[in-house]
Amino acid sequence: MIRLYKPLGLVLGAVAVILSLFPFYWMLRTAVAPADGNALTGLSLIPAELDLSNFARAWDHANLGSAMLNGITVTLGILLLQLLTCIPAAYALARFRFRGAGVLLGLVLACLLIPSQATLIPTFVGLNLLGLGDTRIGLVLPFVTSAIGIFMLRQQMLSIPDAIMEAARTDGLGPLRTLVSVVVPMSAPSIAAFSMLSIFTHWNDYLWPLLVARSPEIMTPPLTLAIFQNADTGFDYPALSAAAAIVTAPVIILFLLAQRHFVRGMAGPEVAG
Amino acid sequence: MTTPVVKERPSLEQGVPGEGPAPRKPRAPKPSLTPYLLLLPALVGMLLFIYGPALLSFIGSFFVIPLSKGPWKFAGLDNYRSVLSDPLIQQAAWNTLVYATATIIPSMVLGLLLALLMERLGRGSWLAKTALILPMTANMVAMAVVFKWIFALQGGLANQTLAVVGLAPVNWLGDAETSLPAVILVGLWRATSLCTLLFMAGLTTIPGSIHEATAVEGIRGFAKLRTVTLPMLKPTVVFVAVLSITGAAQVFEIVNVMTKGGPLGSSETIMTATQRVGFEYFRVGEASAMSFTLIAILLAVGIIGRRRSPKEAS
Repeated sequence: MIRLYKPLGLVLGAVAVILSLFPFYWMLRTAVAPADGNALTGLSLIPAELDLSNFARAWDHANLGSAMLNGITVTLGILLLQLLTCIPAAYALARFRFRGAGVLLGLVLACLLIPSQATLIPTFVGLNLLGLGDTRIGLVLPFVTSAIGIFMLRQQMLSIPDAIMEAARTDGLGPLRTLVSVVVPMSAPSIAAFSMLSIFTHWNDYLWPLLVARSPEIMTPPLTLAIFQNADTGFDYPALSAAAAIVTAPVIILFLLAQRHFVRGMAGPEVAG
Repeated sequence: MTTPVVKERPSLEQGVPGEGPAPRKPRAPKPSLTPYLLLLPALVGMLLFIYGPALLSFIGSFFVIPLSKGPWKFAGLDNYRSVLSDPLIQQAAWNTLVYATATIIPSMVLGLLLALLMERLGRGSWLAKTALILPMTANMVAMAVVFKWIFALQGGLANQTLAVVGLAPVNWLGDAETSLPAVILVGLWRATSLCTLLFMAGLTTIPGSIHEATAVEGIRGFAKLRTVTLPMLKPTVVFVAVLSITGAAQVFEIVNVMTKGGPLGSSETIMTATQRVGFEYFRVGEASAMSFTLIAILLAVGIIGRRRSPKEAS
């Protein structure tokens, strides 16, 4: 049995790895090919000629300078707010005994089942009424908290040994001090994993910026990329691929740097328990 | 939590951490405000940006809402009636169902197989693991642009490959027969990556002692998968299923960039249709009715899911 499925498994794994990577490879291959000529459309693995001017053209046409800055501001703003709201909430749900705890946890979990389109229109109308349509605040505010973040962090905090919490109490630490100096450091893996998940989600978010951002100055990278590919330059595939590569690069680099923490932290200590 | 200042108040003592989670036993004599204060910011955020809007959406789905400021007009079930009888929206619902079926099941099976494989390969497989997770981190607008180029009628990789084999080019994204399958392929590429990640994470939570015990018992291969691994992975499977279903129901970027829902609505999904009805035609009440129909379906799925795994919430 093992003799049969081991090679089969390796073949499946190899094919899956190649298919996973291929679009990234093709993006880079197209991005360095000259826009005119046969090098672009050939099937060779590396284009016969290289042309790096595509990146400069992409940067200008897709307005990527300001878009990347906006993307960083919005993504980090959301992350900061989410950590500030999720960490205390998770702490309360994991380590306190209080009336209504079960209901409140249910309220958090039920958020995971509400799809974003249910909330899009009223949120959009409400922000416009407050004068926050077409502002960076409008891009950030709806994501002030994250149900999945609260859930992930709570699972981690549940696993902190009671003895440690007891020690913090006998040392005279109040709940807030305990949170800052004991619970947060001990939840670092989940905080790191959730931070990465949040950054991936909001750097890559397209629908909300598409609805909110009207002025080019506040547009985020996916939005300017989509506009670039809708424009009459829509067939300049080398520049489009270069722009796609630039937009994709920050999260990919972050992921490659912190890959190990991400997978481990995603598990949480208690998922199977 | 930004300030390390400790407010020493006797009333806080009750909620002091270290007592462990036992919300089921309400034997707290002096209730403390601390947990409620800790939860407050998150709860306010959820009420303002999730529950409040969802409720408004629900109410709005029974009204005709004028574009400029003006009184809402009660419309009863008219919005639902016109949504459910609109052939384009029926098409979108059907396409979303096809998309969900064609991506969720294969991506979960493939994701589980790949995660098991990576586990067998052990430490040496980090490079392969990284490669398999990469698609779920990628920007979907960027990847949809790349896939649009791969499926381009002229010069696209798919058609060039067909040409090598001697087949005629296919207008992948411009033909009503092939536009949805092309979108599904991209969705599958993405979803498999997410499932693989979540299953890999889930597998790491199975204690080593269990693996040793099954090895001693001589349980291995499919028998182990069926009797040990899968039952222990059940919470992960439920979690992956819920995420997959809500994810598939909301597919948007891929369609919006690659096909715009066309041609002739052949790749329109619920999300692209909602965006069109609500934000291009400004028929807000109808868009809300569409949203709420979808939520009702998703909540039903979620409730069935929770019922099947009562352990998950604990």
